[in-house]
Amino acid sequence: MSLLQRILYVDDETGIQSVAKLALEMVGGFTVKLCGSGEEALREAAAFAPDLILLDVMMPGMDGPATLAALREQPALAAIPVVLMTARAQAEDVARYLSLGALDVIAKPFDPMTLASQVRAVWEKHHG
Amino acid sequence: MDDLESEFAAELAKLRGAYLEHLPEELAGIAACASSLSGRESERPLLDELHHRLHKLAGSGSTFGLDDLSREARVLEKQARAWLAGPIERIDPGALAAFVRGTQALAATLRQGESRPAPPLKSEPHAPLGRRIDIWLVEDDALLGREIVRLLDQFGYQTRLFTRLDAAEQAAARERPDILIMDVLFPEEGLNATEAVASRPAFRALDCPILFISAQGDFHSRVRAARLGAEGFLTKPLDVPRLVDRLERMFEERQVTPHRVLIVDDDITLAEHFRLVLRGAGIDVKVITDPEAIIDAVAAFRPELILLDLMMPGYTGPELATVIRQYDDWVGLPIVYLSAETDLDAQIQALGHGADDFLAKPISDAHLVAAVRVRVARARQLDNLMARDSLTGLLKHARIKEEVEIELARARRGGKPMSVAMIDLDHFKSINDTYGHAVGDRVIKAVAHLMRQRLRLSDAIGRYGGEEFIAILPDCDCDTAQAVIEDIRARFAGLRFQHEGEEFACTLSAGLACSTRYPEAKGSDLLISADEALYAAKRGGRNQVCLADGKMPSLGED
Repeated sequence: MSLLQRILYVDDETGIQSVAKLALEMVGGFTVKLCGSGEEALREAAAFAPDLILLDVMMPGMDGPATLAALREQPALAAIPVVLMTARAQAEDVARYLSLGALDVIAKPFDPMTLASQVRAVWEKHHG
Repeated sequence: MDDLESEFAAELAKLRGAYLEHLPEELAGIAACASSLSGRESERPLLDELHHRLHKLAGSGSTFGLDDLSREARVLEKQARAWLAGPIERIDPGALAAFVRGTQALAATLRQGESRPAPPLKSEPHAPLGRRIDIWLVEDDALLGREIVRLLDQFGYQTRLFTRLDAAEQAAARERPDILIMDVLFPEEGLNATEAVASRPAFRALDCPILFISAQGDFHSRVRAARLGAEGFLTKPLDVPRLVDRLERMFEERQVTPHRVLIVDDDITLAEHFRLVLRGAGIDVKVITDPEAIIDAVAAFRPELILLDLMMPGYTGPELATVIRQYDDWVGLPIVYLSAETDLDAQIQALGHGADDFLAKPISDAHLVAAVRVRVARARQLDNLMARDSLTGLLKHARIKEEVEIELARARRGGKPMSVAMIDLDHFKSINDTYGHAVGDRVIKAVAHLMRQRLRLSDAIGRYGGEEFIAILPDCDCDTAQAVIEDIRARFAGLRFQHEGEEFACTLSAGLACSTRYPEAKGSDLLISADEALYAAKRGGRNQVCLADGKMPSLGED
């Protein structure tokens, strides 16, 4: 089973970014890099080589689904699993995101104390 | 984990502080942006920006526990999104004005929300002890009034004294106490308080519980008090412990610790949705997606109800239920299956394996909340009946011994101190013999109230025997424990009990054992050490607190 260690977290809200980084690093023990936009994520992903990308759905410019699609078009990045994070985890949205190739969807706001275990659970479900 | 948790909480609090610091600026920016809208197509990028800022605010607000702000931002965000979907010129000017006012109101919502502590990870501080409850006493006899204030203070209640009815009336126009205690007759002002409360708007608007005290419990005053919905009518001379008993019961009904529910479901999105719904209803929820973590989760979180998915990878719900039922402690823990299973046979078969009920997915939010509430409330009732002493509402002997072991293990894991206090009333038998058992019971209840009042919610308190009590103080070192118990001792010694015009006092002795002095001890050893310290306090002349010396209790002898 491959290990989950490096996570790229993409969200345009810096407050949530910092909580997510803290939660994933301190509670989960992951290595986290933050990006503020889809465009930035596309630039940084190759160099950081994350095991997983956590992607906010609604961002100005390139939103989550668009970023996911762009990642899938680049051969070097296409295989990186992506989990979308959204405030509106409605059933039809979730189904659509999954059909776009997202590994899973995590609802926002997340509980800082359990975000890391949620992410790990998603990972293990697919890689266990 | 506890250490990590508190460190994490501290870091989180820092982030929240930083967030709150620049938030007013962002709110001002949003309001300014909104107020520059006039309903032209050229403003689409501006509205788009506004939409994103509101979206971010809604998300970040709830992440940092500003739920009201988040909710309001969410409403505005929705409005902006709806407008973006059509031509900007079509926006109704009235709706736009309301929208702008909405953005301007966010700052006030923030100020209200900010004053509350961050909800996600709150840890109780040790000081100040007790809850702050605002009591007003209206009593024209200033000497008597001051004496009641002093006695209530011994129980940890802060009381504000008014010696004139009109002074209280003026205060009532501006502020509101948690409870109002009033004498009935004010001869100097020529007033009867029951009439005043009935006729004067400031009192009528108070909407807080009222207790009347009166020298003559005359029928008309009592009836009038009852018609006003008064919580009680007490006669003078005032029996303060009885008054406190009344107060405690009134506040207890209002204070309910949140229900704890564990959700076990491998479908994280759905589990997360359930969690949000239940949390919205004030229920504490923990979600686990890995069935193998269930035992640890139950032990650590101690849920009052488990919502269990019927089918999970590797395990079925009935298998997990059976495993949980193998533990004696959890035989009575309600387990409810959540399942899309509509096949009646499968349901019945599942119920045969130790679960209590079925909830079919999909389930409406309201139905879920109601189903959980009813079941947890019933479980709590049963648990209370079995675990709590009927006179004091404190934990019974067996349960408190269990708690000592649990809390000691938790303290050791977290590398934190933990203290145990054993408390015994002095010469209690002679009170029972002199005044009778009913009076003795009131003394017992007074100690119980005092302990509940002065200790934290996280401290466990038990009635160990007839007049013996135990307090378990997690995350509390020798010095703090000694100060807290000494405070209880001094307050108790200051209480005056009334019986048929006669006044008497009672004292208590206490023994303390702190886990840091006993690195090797089990919970039962701590209890024995606290008991030995208690006897040292008795030998030392009673009405005092003694700390155990750290020598392991001598085993095998008695």
